[in-house]
Amino acid sequence: MDFLVKFASAFMSVFQAGGENFVSWVTGIIPTILMLLVMMNAVIALIGDERIEVIARVCTSNPILRYAVLPWVSAFMLGNPMALSMGKFMPEFYKPSYYAAASYHCHTNSGIFPHINPSEIMIYLGIAQGLTSLGLDSTPLALRYMLVGFIANFISGWATDFTTAFVQKQQGIKLSKELKTRA
Amino acid sequence: MAEYRAIRVEKGSGGFGGPLTIQGTEQRNKVMYITGGGVAPEILEKIVELSGLEPVNGFKTSCPEDQLALVIIDCGGTLRCGLYPKKRIPTININPVGKAGPLAQFIKEDIYVSGVTNANISLADASAAPAQEAPAQEAEAPAEEKKGIDTSKKLSEQMAESGNASVLAKIGLGAGKVVATFNQAARDAVQTCIGTLLPFMAFVSMLIGIINGTGFGTFFSTLLQPLLGNIFGLLVLGIVCSIPGLSAILGPGAVISQILGSIMGAEIAAGRISPHLALVGLFALNCHAACDFIPVGLGLAEAETETVEVGVVSVMYSRFITSWIRILLAIVFSIGLYAAA
Repeated sequence: MDFLVKFASAFMSVFQAGGENFVSWVTGIIPTILMLLVMMNAVIALIGDERIEVIARVCTSNPILRYAVLPWVSAFMLGNPMALSMGKFMPEFYKPSYYAAASYHCHTNSGIFPHINPSEIMIYLGIAQGLTSLGLDSTPLALRYMLVGFIANFISGWATDFTTAFVQKQQGIKLSKELKTRA
Repeated sequence: MAEYRAIRVEKGSGGFGGPLTIQGTEQRNKVMYITGGGVAPEILEKIVELSGLEPVNGFKTSCPEDQLALVIIDCGGTLRCGLYPKKRIPTININPVGKAGPLAQFIKEDIYVSGVTNANISLADASAAPAQEAPAQEAEAPAEEKKGIDTSKKLSEQMAESGNASVLAKIGLGAGKVVATFNQAARDAVQTCIGTLLPFMAFVSMLIGIINGTGFGTFFSTLLQPLLGNIFGLLVLGIVCSIPGLSAILGPGAVISQILGSIMGAEIAAGRISPHLALVGLFALNCHAACDFIPVGLGLAEAETETVEVGVVSVMYSRFITSWIRILLAIVFSIGLYAAA
């Protein structure tokens, strides 16, 4: 009998521990995230998608605009995964590189701007929550995440130019570096 | 009798639904607008001009439902936006509102489109020339004759009669649009929390419950400690996770990264991992980001087939090549981060 009681209470304690963790996340994380999401959703709706397309066309010309500025702006404005669609303004050759940079931007900027990638935010929040429960402020982490990301994502995007050239040779395909004129 | 042409209405910025194709017939030849207390919306003129439908002000008169080809509303997401879709009458909402309100289940893409501006309206058959005659003007003319303020009527009724928006009405409409936009933003945000955040939190919380509640945690952390608990472990983890091929398997939904992130956070909270490693952890756990998503992402960028073929391999290679650079950068920039703790 003793054994059964022990087993039952051990069994329940597993779910109680899980529940406590869940409540601490819901009360600690959800309220702020929710307010931020509301604000960001509204700002984006008010600015509109059309304006970002204008920026996108301007940004195709050089690597820094292409792999640092445009993906940052796109991630902020459009979020994951629609930020990736801005690659359509690139010549075919640069599309993989833009993808490489923009998809990283959907993560590294999400510490400060959680609206960018709410469904994959727990990578950041999981770690940040650990800091918060130690009484540390997670803002420096979010800020450094974004700033280091800005540099690292550019490198990742730019490096893809070289890997694309390499794979192109490997597969015997040549991708155009010219921007197709669109109707 | 007027000639009716099919028009195509697409959703605007932040809008939902559509595109709708609206074709008037002898029977269904009216477009009713129930907007801004009777002020004709900006898009009405273009719709009337292109489609040949007869405008009806819903605040002034009503119209038998079987004559309506289209309804224009400016509902912020309560009743009106669901009412006409429920009756299966094509509905344009000039506010960017999605499925909302008590009748949300009737708001479907095939009958409802929102956030519409003039730019979203076009002739369904682009080759058809716009009409020479403007049948709409006759219908509107009688309403525009009376002007000035009439004390015997409510202000909203007078706004309805004056036909075009006064400054006051414009301010009102503008404020209404901002409020509606925020309201929809809040609705989307809550949906995101319920749809994606809470389920994930529940799922990972249960895992953490099992890990901590069973004493498995101590075993587990001794297992992960060498990887998550020091810089070299994280570096190895990041490089291994980004090996081409493996990176694509580990990717979907970032589930594995999110679980590892949550566990690392729990370990930091428990004091078993130094907070100093938080930034390095963020980069190490996510070196393989989006490797599973390359074809879809390139598809979103309207890439050609060859580009996708090259791109999938190319991005996986570049992830692998740059993973250690990213982590080293994170290590360098971690200097001074939570150093005292």
